[in-house]
Amino acid sequence: MTAGIPSIAAQPKIFTENYLVMTREGIRGNDAMQGLLKSVPDREIVALAVYFSKLTARKPDGAVDKTLFARGKQVAAQNRCATCHERDFRGREQMPRLAGQREDFLAEAMLAYRQYRRPGGDTLMAAALYGISEPDLKALAHYLSRVK
Amino acid sequence: MIKFAFATATLAFSVSFALAQDKPAPPPMWQQGRPASLADSKLAPNPGKMTETQASEVPLDKLKLPKGFKVEVWAAGLVGGRAMAFSDSGKKIYVGTRGIGRVYEVTDAGDKRTVRVVVDKLNQPSGVAFQGGSLYVMAIDKVLRYDGIEDKPSGAPVDMTKAFDLPPEQHHNWKYLAFGPDKKLYVPFGGPCNICEPPTKEYAQLRRYNPDGTGKEVIATGIRNTQGFDWHPKTGEIWFTDHGRDWLGDNGPEDELNRISKPGLFFGFPYCHAKGIPDPDVAKGKKDACKDVTLPVTTMGPHAAVMGIKFYTGDMFPKEYQGVAFIARKGSWNRTKKFGYDVVTVKATADGKNPKITPFMTGFMDPKANSFWGRPAYISQLKDGSLLVSDEQLGVIYRISYGAPKK
Ligand code: HEC
Repeated sequence: MTAGIPSIAAQPKIFTENYLVMTREGIRGNDAMQGLLKSVPDREIVALAVYFSKLTARKPDGAVDKTLFARGKQVAAQNRCATCHERDFRGREQMPRLAGQREDFLAEAMLAYRQYRRPGGDTLMAAALYGISEPDLKALAHYLSRVK
Repeated sequence: MIKFAFATATLAFSVSFALAQDKPAPPPMWQQGRPASLADSKLAPNPGKMTETQASEVPLDKLKLPKGFKVEVWAAGLVGGRAMAFSDSGKKIYVGTRGIGRVYEVTDAGDKRTVRVVVDKLNQPSGVAFQGGSLYVMAIDKVLRYDGIEDKPSGAPVDMTKAFDLPPEQHHNWKYLAFGPDKKLYVPFGGPCNICEPPTKEYAQLRRYNPDGTGKEVIATGIRNTQGFDWHPKTGEIWFTDHGRDWLGDNGPEDELNRISKPGLFFGFPYCHAKGIPDPDVAKGKKDACKDVTLPVTTMGPHAAVMGIKFYTGDMFPKEYQGVAFIARKGSWNRTKKFGYDVVTVKATADGKNPKITPFMTGFMDPKANSFWGRPAYISQLKDGSLLVSDEQLGVIYRISYGAPKK
């Protein structure tokens, strides 16, 4: 996989549906993806979402930086990320799986929420990151990409 | 001024926290005021549906209405469709959305409706209004005007954003829009959080503007998040719905229906909720949190998500519905047992006394399973006196008509 492109295996169905629609509409994601999805009708998007939701989740990224991992875990607990994303961060409904997602992707997504560059979703997600420093966002990305 | 100083202090506080690595981050805005007892609650906003629902997939038979009323699916394929604005001729209806970023145009061709997308890729363009041949669209960060759109369907819009002076915070700042009898455009600016001292004075208020964005006036303050208002047919006063805050438990504070009897009233946010509940977080230690607060005509139920309001002025429905407010309650998320998911009527005197809430359109929710399938959001009245109700979850518009029940 190329940098910046998320793993969508084992994502909740509704999240993938939303994500593919937002990409097709040009609200999210990149031009290449939008081109691919351009003429894909809603019913095929639903079918794709069902298919991806049944795949096995990606294996967590390799080497663990112990300090960064611990810090990320702490920030996630303080901010109660798990109340929405589930205790093991597998996601539910419109809330994506974070566990095992690519670290670079997670970091960029959080930064984008914070800078209001990620429209389409609920503004609550941007609000959930309110006041978290950039180094802490990096720690969160490291932790979430490796959490089991 | 004291308010303002406090807000600045909190801001400075969070910045210094962000720099000091080992200290905990301040609570995020959306869960400010969330008590320890609810810290691990898994309540989260309900997922919307971003894909099309066909008319044939709508479980119409589950909907219940009073005797003599009939419901049909009038238009479908409007994913995320919310507020509706009629064109001058009444032949077209413009429909705003949030997440999917589109504004739709529905053309009524008598026995069927066609739908097209007027604009897309906007950041929650939920505000739509029509006046003098022009469609006005307001997203969180953009205002567009489509002149003569009925005749020029593909004409380019005029970007009016600068004139309207939109503040930077986005939460609760998607819009409901309407032109008043004074031909001015009424625009709400929500409190950008669950509960907080707004960071600046531009929030938690209702404003009006001349159609070109000049003449900005703040006409009411202390409004957390209104997503619907209408003018009373007798008095010409604005009645508006307002969402109560979250994370104070299943029973409240309840949503509100308010009346603006004169400009300049203060409706309580963030200090005082519902019929006079001081806020346990923001008004802590404040003795008179509800002093000078205009209390609601009626509360509308806990976490109900009161949305559109329309006073009935048609002549199709029985007489007792004349001048009665129809209000859509989109339904709760911040509550363990679901509440709302219906359209109710509120009957009150013109000065807001003796309010009586009666369920009108129900069946979107299954209380036993604690689940829902539809979310009624806005109400409009067709020329023949029937009502349109938009369902934001399914992206369809229902039409409710009345014919005397057969004996
Ligand atoms: C109120 C519920 C809620 C809370 C709390 C919450 N999130 Fe989210 N999160 C969401 C939703 C809903 C989305 C998807 C929104 C969208 O589609 O843009 C999301 C999306 C994300 C994404 C994007 C992932 C992807 O694959 O696109 C990341 C990263 C994320 N959340 C991290 C976090 C972190 C870290 C926290 C804690 C600081 C957190 N979230 C707290 C609801 C929540």
